[in-house]
Amino acid sequence: MTELLQQTVSGLTTGLVYAALALAIALVFQGTGTLNFAQGEFATLAAFVSFALSTAGLSWWLIVPLLVVLAFVFGAGVERLLVRPVEGSGPLALLTVTAALLLGSNAVVALIWGTDVRSMASPFGGAVYHVGPLTFTAQAIGGGALVLLAMLLCGLIFRFTPLGLRLRAVADNPDSARLLGISTGVMLAVGWGIAAAVGAVAGLVAAPTLGLSPELMTNALLLALAAVTLGGFSSRLGAVVGGLLIGVLSNLASRYVPGIGGDLQLVVPFAVIFLVLLVRPQGLFGRASTVRA
Amino acid sequence: MTGLLEVTGLTAGYGGVRVLHSMDLTVAENEIVAVLGANGAGKTTLLRALSGTVKAGGGISFAGRALNGTSAARIARSGLGHVPQGRGTFTALTVEENVRLGVISRPASTRAQADGDLDRIYDTFPVLREMRRRPAGALSGGQQQMLALARALMARPRLLLIDEPSLGLAPLTSADMFSVLARLREEWSLSVLLAEQNARASLKVADRGIVLARGRVVAAAPAAELAADAGLRAAYLGESPDGLTGVSS
Repeated sequence: MTELLQQTVSGLTTGLVYAALALAIALVFQGTGTLNFAQGEFATLAAFVSFALSTAGLSWWLIVPLLVVLAFVFGAGVERLLVRPVEGSGPLALLTVTAALLLGSNAVVALIWGTDVRSMASPFGGAVYHVGPLTFTAQAIGGGALVLLAMLLCGLIFRFTPLGLRLRAVADNPDSARLLGISTGVMLAVGWGIAAAVGAVAGLVAAPTLGLSPELMTNALLLALAAVTLGGFSSRLGAVVGGLLIGVLSNLASRYVPGIGGDLQLVVPFAVIFLVLLVRPQGLFGRASTVRA
Repeated sequence: MTGLLEVTGLTAGYGGVRVLHSMDLTVAENEIVAVLGANGAGKTTLLRALSGTVKAGGGISFAGRALNGTSAARIARSGLGHVPQGRGTFTALTVEENVRLGVISRPASTRAQADGDLDRIYDTFPVLREMRRRPAGALSGGQQQMLALARALMARPRLLLIDEPSLGLAPLTSADMFSVLARLREEWSLSVLLAEQNARASLKVADRGIVLARGRVVAAAPAAELAADAGLRAAYLGESPDGLTGVSS
């Protein structure tokens, strides 16, 4: 029982990283109707930047907010400069651009920092806490809290602020939004910025556990895409729950299902998704269109 | 008399296809002008050209300012509202969120009155108040049309472009719609440019009407005159002289 709990906790910890990345992917998808394949690479880049900043001696209290701001500007800038010009060319052109961004940012990171895996010290220190029979590392607690905070803030912005209302309006019906005086272009850039900021937090939290390398988020991207599919592309909450479920499921499967070791563990979430989509094509939290004719 | 909206030599189209050919049009302060014409006459394109959602050439002057080359979002914020065909509902947002989105293009000086206006709007459309926490996509067609009007009113426009409000509505609902339009002009000191296929109903609420055919204005007259001109209606509005729409025996 204790071990089951411990495995679940550790699955949730990795699941939070998938969840944050999945949320970022869902945000961009809702705004522009495209999958940003480079979302994971943005997060990797953010992890390297935070590594560089901390090596330069900055305090983590400064690095985290700075990273969020930088990532926001970066994401918004990418939308403006690289995505906007091809926006009218259809979803396939957009997909191609994000795929190119994936390869491009991966190459840039490898060029600057090399391809060796570096170890990055946890911003939260190396302490280990025992709560009853369970063990928590400071990295797991701090990282989990940070990701949760980022997702919560993002949710609050979308749900309760005028900016969030505009972002949701543009995602829902851009033509109509324009007629109400909303600058859709600005909102799309802001959406990409917020997504990149949430992703940056995911990268920062993943790096100390997984080791810093250009491949940091490669698997995480696949699992985050799976999480979004599982939760439903139209639901931010769904993306987050999907990420957590996938983290826990793959962890438990590798521990308890005979024959599934570390390598096959990646397959498990996809099998689950396959089954879910057979029953609910719109995902667990997705809306099957509620629109009346 | 100088109008609130002055349009001269307006042209517009999609891609290489020109739909509007040199169109002139004036809407005065507090006036309702009906834009009539059969399918494909250019009614929707005219409204889109005015709200900046379709590229247009020629002169458009609104409240004394030229609108040419201005973005749709900026035109909306200058007091020109557009209730699009198909209603433009934000289906995933709640009814109240839909209505509140109208506030964005309000002049800053009236921001403080937004809550009061929301109450007035709910008094005019009680069904929206009842359903304000429901997703807007769950409303019926008639309710969504009310919602689109309400949202546009929240922006406190001086001129409202309304595209085919009766499209797809049951006859009774459609009659409600037109009676609401007549009231709104007084209550919100609005001018309205109303594109409609239902000539009879729209001429009842309008002061003047213009008739479009193939992208040109082929007739312009006070509403009562147009309504009485059976020949014109037969020629351009697809009505037979005895008033039965499109039915030949």
